Amino acid sequence: MGAGMTRFMRRAQETGKELAWEASRAALESCELTLDAVDAVCLTSAPDAFDGVHMKGEYLSDGAGAFGRPFIRTYVGGGSGVFTAIQGWYTVASGMADVVLVVAEEKMSSTQPHPQAAFLTIFDNVLERPLGPNLLWIFALEMNRYMSAYGLDKRDIAAVAVKNKRNAADHPAALLGRSDITVEDVLASETLAWPVQRLDVSPVSDGAVALVLASEEAAERITDRPVWIQGVGWNLDTAYWTNRDLVFPEYVRNAARAAYAMAGVTEPRKQIHIAEPYDPFDYKELHHLEGLMLFDPGTAPEAARDGVLNRDGDLPSCPSGGLLGVGNPIAAAGLMKVAELFWQLRGEAGARQVPGSPERGVAQAWGDLMQVGTVVVLGNEGGPPTTATRLPDSPTPPASTPGHPLTEAEFRGATGAVEDAVDARYAWDAGVAISRFLGGLREGRILGRECRGCERVLVPPRMFCERCFRGTDAWVEVEPTGVVQTFSICHVSWDMKPLETPEIPAVIAIDGSSGGFLHVLGEVDPQEVRVGMAVEAVWKPVAERTGSILDIAYFRPVRGGAP
Amino acid sequence: MIERIARPDEVRRWPGSIPVSHRYTPGVAGQAFLETLRDRGVILGSRCDRCRYTYVPARLFCERCFAELAADVEVGPAGVLRSFAIGFVGVEGEPLESPLTLGLVQLDGADACLLHLVLDHSDEPLEIGRRVEVVVKPAGERTGSILDIEGFRPVEG
Ligand SMILES: [Zn+2]
Repeated sequence: MGAGMTRFMRRAQETGKELAWEASRAALESCELTLDAVDAVCLTSAPDAFDGVHMKGEYLSDGAGAFGRPFIRTYVGGGSGVFTAIQGWYTVASGMADVVLVVAEEKMSSTQPHPQAAFLTIFDNVLERPLGPNLLWIFALEMNRYMSAYGLDKRDIAAVAVKNKRNAADHPAALLGRSDITVEDVLASETLAWPVQRLDVSPVSDGAVALVLASEEAAERITDRPVWIQGVGWNLDTAYWTNRDLVFPEYVRNAARAAYAMAGVTEPRKQIHIAEPYDPFDYKELHHLEGLMLFDPGTAPEAARDGVLNRDGDLPSCPSGGLLGVGNPIAAAGLMKVAELFWQLRGEAGARQVPGSPERGVAQAWGDLMQVGTVVVLGNEGGPPTTATRLPDSPTPPASTPGHPLTEAEFRGATGAVEDAVDARYAWDAGVAISRFLGGLREGRILGRECRGCERVLVPPRMFCERCFRGTDAWVEVEPTGVVQTFSICHVSWDMKPLETPEIPAVIAIDGSSGGFLHVLGEVDPQEVRVGMAVEAVWKPVAERTGSILDIAYFRPVRGGAP
Repeated sequence: MIERIARPDEVRRWPGSIPVSHRYTPGVAGQAFLETLRDRGVILGSRCDRCRYTYVPARLFCERCFAELAADVEVGPAGVLRSFAIGFVGVEGEPLESPLTLGLVQLDGADACLLHLVLDHSDEPLEIGRRVEVVVKPAGERTGSILDIEGFRPVEG
């Protein structure tokens, strides 16, 4: 029915609830409703640690219009923005409510020294955090694997960052629009964790977005130009990210299949006219376009290079400017994509309008432990046949974009600002399987667990198999050798400070096991590292071992080993 | 299926923390409230005429009807103690040298209550319904913080 958003800003003067209110009010005003008309509120916001407010959903609730109403906050990490539209959809579809306000808010500027801190514990506290990981590792490792599998040219991937920042130059709410950016600019930007460079990454942001959803009956009362949610889907990959197929996002395809089936989409490339895939990194937009079955695996980069994804191309992708251009206030960014489809399908996107009266679009987001796909298909057709109205030629202007950006100096000097750290400390249990695994490392042995259901050997071990959902069967010892599945050369620490010596994190498939695990490489020139390289564990001296993942100092190339 | 831990030394725990701190800025309405408190030593609220409700501290919007509000109503400095509690232990459960009394006060002209400390009542028992007033620090000592208010002090009447 309606959509609204604040500007996406590096630092907003508004509190989180003030941002939520500005977006919510804009959405209601865009369809001439007041809060009285709202039956229920669905809210999303990513980690509480960003705003530094525990129970953030409840804190934000008044800004989202939830006072005295049924209210729920859902949270699936980066996938939250699109997921909350799905939540809004089933709140209406279940018959619980006729009119639902859907709100997404994120205020990342509160987090010190860097919002990445809030993400550190998504790494396994016992097996991965001792390695000193940086969130960028996951993306760099995935990007390298994607590039290696298809022999991709980084220039083609950089074309996505260029397209999105140029598109964002036409977005009144955008943080990083740049009409003059080139592929050379992206390739010349600072290398953070090779192959990820500064301009491959979307910016930390504050902002909020809101939508108004309604049942078919209520829609008839509210507008003669509804946009319909035609299909929804979401799906999870394995929680063990190093065990995933980092080349292809299966979870996105599974989510898209569900959404397309509901929408009656059988030939996505023909029946989808606009895509808003999730683009926190440029390669991720391509990865996701392939998962959405809009391009064959490995072919989306050519499409980016050839202009197919441009606003006037055959399949406009991220005409909003995406996260790379508009900004990435995590949960709000996903809902911004759904809002963009709403404006595009109504012909209200102004300078961003995709030509040719698009009639159907798909929005997608990605998150959780980097393994959820959330997909929504929107279209002009749907609902009762009598309400399918042709769009008028002269659209109403898009909702205004409130929001007050603060400079760094204003942020540091703000009257009444309070700085505080939650003084919480933890003791993480290694658990049954990992305790024994760590005991093995102290003895210089790598232990796994065998699942006879799926015939996998799991390293690091676990006591249950998440695929067969049965207990694993036996302990096995594997060789301390393996193969590099993907790697990164990382130049920054978790709080984005430069490192004197770059680190080389790698996902290593241990010989005789299924799937990979995370460690670092040593005794190797970073330029010599290759996917497929055979490596072996270098153990700490026996006296220095403590029963830690660091008892393996690092992995090094097997001398005279495979290329 | 579940293995018993036969050797307790195999049970491993990793101590750690999440190295995150926060900088909270007061927002649009919060800034107006704190700057006025600092500059004039008065408490600002926001009135929603439609809902006939006055919020304290000031707010940017009405949570009942979503109207935009201004920080436009001076409330107090006197009001009514609506509830109080006396804290004898700190956040870690440690005993406090002197107990802290917290009060929820509905300042004159406001509908919402304001939370702060209650001062100077040791010689007489507090009662809900008691008249109190806001004690503000001297002008030169105010910085634009909620601590520019020292607390509430019981008054006659
Ligand atoms: Zn009101």
